[in-house]
Amino acid sequence: MSTDVVAIHNVSKIFDGGDNRVVALDNVSVTIAKGEMVAIMGPSGSGKSTLMTIIGLLDVPTSGTYLLDGIETSVLDRTAQAGVRNQKLGFIFQNFNLLPRLSALQNVALPMVYARVSVSEREARAKAALEAVGLGNRLNNRPNELSGGQKQRVAIARALVNNPAILLADEPTGALDSRTGHEIMALFRQLNREQGITVVVVTHDAEVGKQMDRIVSLRDGQLNMEALHEYYGINTDDLGRVVTEVPHVG
Amino acid sequence: MWGEQLRMAWQSLRANTFRSLLTMLGIIIGSSTLVSVLSLGNALQGQVFERFIDLGTRRVAILPGDPDANGARVSSGYGLLSIKDFNALAKMVTTHPEIFRTIVPEVALKVRARSGTVEVDSLVVGTGADYQKVQSVPLESGRFFTIEEEQSAERVAVLGSLVTEDLFGKGAENRAKAVGQTIIINGQSIKILGVIKGAGGPFSSDQRILVPAGTARLRIAGNQDLPGRGLKMSSILLGLRTEGVVTKAESLITTTLRDARNVPVGAIDDFKINSPTQALGILNGINSAITGFIAVVAGISLVVGGIGIMNIMLVAVTERTREIGVRKALGATDRDVLGQFVIEAATISLIGSLIGIGFAVALVLAIASAAGLGMILSIPAVIISLVFALGIGIGFGYYPAKRAALLLPIEALRYE
Ligand SMILES: Nc1ncnc2c1ncn2[C@@H]1O[C@H](COP(=O)(O)OP(=O)(O)OP(=O)(O)O)[C@@H](O)[C@H]1O
Ligand SMILES: [Mg+2]
Repeated sequence: MSTDVVAIHNVSKIFDGGDNRVVALDNVSVTIAKGEMVAIMGPSGSGKSTLMTIIGLLDVPTSGTYLLDGIETSVLDRTAQAGVRNQKLGFIFQNFNLLPRLSALQNVALPMVYARVSVSEREARAKAALEAVGLGNRLNNRPNELSGGQKQRVAIARALVNNPAILLADEPTGALDSRTGHEIMALFRQLNREQGITVVVVTHDAEVGKQMDRIVSLRDGQLNMEALHEYYGINTDDLGRVVTEVPHVG
Repeated sequence: MWGEQLRMAWQSLRANTFRSLLTMLGIIIGSSTLVSVLSLGNALQGQVFERFIDLGTRRVAILPGDPDANGARVSSGYGLLSIKDFNALAKMVTTHPEIFRTIVPEVALKVRARSGTVEVDSLVVGTGADYQKVQSVPLESGRFFTIEEEQSAERVAVLGSLVTEDLFGKGAENRAKAVGQTIIINGQSIKILGVIKGAGGPFSSDQRILVPAGTARLRIAGNQDLPGRGLKMSSILLGLRTEGVVTKAESLITTTLRDARNVPVGAIDDFKINSPTQALGILNGINSAITGFIAVVAGISLVVGGIGIMNIMLVAVTERTREIGVRKALGATDRDVLGQFVIEAATISLIGSLIGIGFAVALVLAIASAAGLGMILSIPAVIISLVFALGIGIGFGYYPAKRAALLLPIEALRYE
């Protein structure tokens, strides 16, 4: 048994909307090792978000297998899937997806509500998580009282609060200015370094991609290395490989 | 988790206070109607019952048979009661002292009574001294006539409070002054012995003049006899030992009277037996029917309120599709989402019901204090109303909640 937290094998995802059939993922195989930082890159519509939703158990593949932390996911029922999302996965969205009526603290505490954590522990851990992302002074503010960067920090605190194995971030800096974006990415690296958490990030930013351990490059739903150079100007000499490892390419 | 979901429900209600209140309207109206109608209905039932106890539930009245009744025989004077029947029953009363306490006749005559220049229409009831034992006729002044006065057909009377006031003027003082005075009925001077306390209502003696039966027959009415059967009576009243012997008494009376009146075997009774428990049952039946009808209307209002809740919950689920997606992404199970929305619907319904009950309590207490009825709020009605509202909230909230629960996480998250 490998230490792969994510082992995706020959996964396809087809959206069959009557006349327009879209193959969003076409026979993709990807593995991600524990503690890795991986970027998913590719042009718009190439299937990045689709891959993320499958990794995140928000959607199921049309075909192929997906082992998450050694568990065959196709056998999980809806309740078990919810449990895995709750315990092993942390989501960060481009548009934050904070609940507007809840304070920062309540938003961060939400995953623990579904983990049946006691109220007092919930509060303490949510507070600690917010302090860890530098928002100890914004506990009781609602999302509309926070800046974009602060909102994303709340979302990160929320994603981390149940100590997940994998952090899944779909364009987490897409709605932020570049400086704030860099701060968020720095936070990810710090979490990865200090807590060994596996990070999967969808990004269009070549600089961000290059700081990752690996880049998974997609084009038209397939793994495709040329796209990296074509769209992001990233050079790599490992073009024949299924999953490109691009440690610090020029 | 429950506490958490209640808190969530409360938060989302607070976020749309006005909309929530509008949604609750049906439940508010339904609950308040239910509680006030059931409370007032109960109180009314209690009142009727008390009034009857007052008149004596240990009493059976014999009334003339209806000549138009299905199965009535054709003969002149069919169904009328007479002294013959009375005597037969009186004999039965003496042989069954364990069942019957007493027996008195009621010989009713429409008359004009006069005092000085004041003349009024009234009803003379000729009866016995034991009348007090079968009818509630407490005196406010003076006394009732005695057995001796009854037997010698004295020219004496006891007056109802309204007749007294009609003749002698309104007020307790005028009523008290009437005792000892003389009134003229059909040319006969009759001395007033006492005045009956006013009771109100159609069953009371307020409008009546009570005199000994003989006085009514011999002095006031002239000849009231039925050919071959003696004095005609409008009714005969029997006092019972306890409420428990009513059925036994009824069957004894039936046998005695059928025998005395020569009713052929197979023919229907040519008289009526009226036991107060019957009348009480009928009155309470009517009251229950009315109360039940309004309660059903209130129930319908609650159901309509439930449909309103379902409607608003469907809207809420659509509005909050993304929220549902986020919650599912964070680990909410289908059951968590189902529970959240069902509890929200139930909370709307319960709060609506509580508001409605609040209105009902205010109304019922106001009516109670205005009518001097005391504590009449029906606690069972409050509980029924709350339970019903809870059921409605859960029942009508279930379908929208189920829709929310079954949303796929990714579709909910992608919902625009
Ligand atoms: N629910 C859906 N129904 C139909 N087609 C879909 C659905 N979701 C995605 N697609 C299609 O699948 C393809 C891949 O979409 P996906 O969102 O994964 O792209 P992406 O790489 O994330 O793009 P972007 O960089 O713009 O976010 C696209 O052609 C998209 O139109
Ligand atoms: Mg995308």
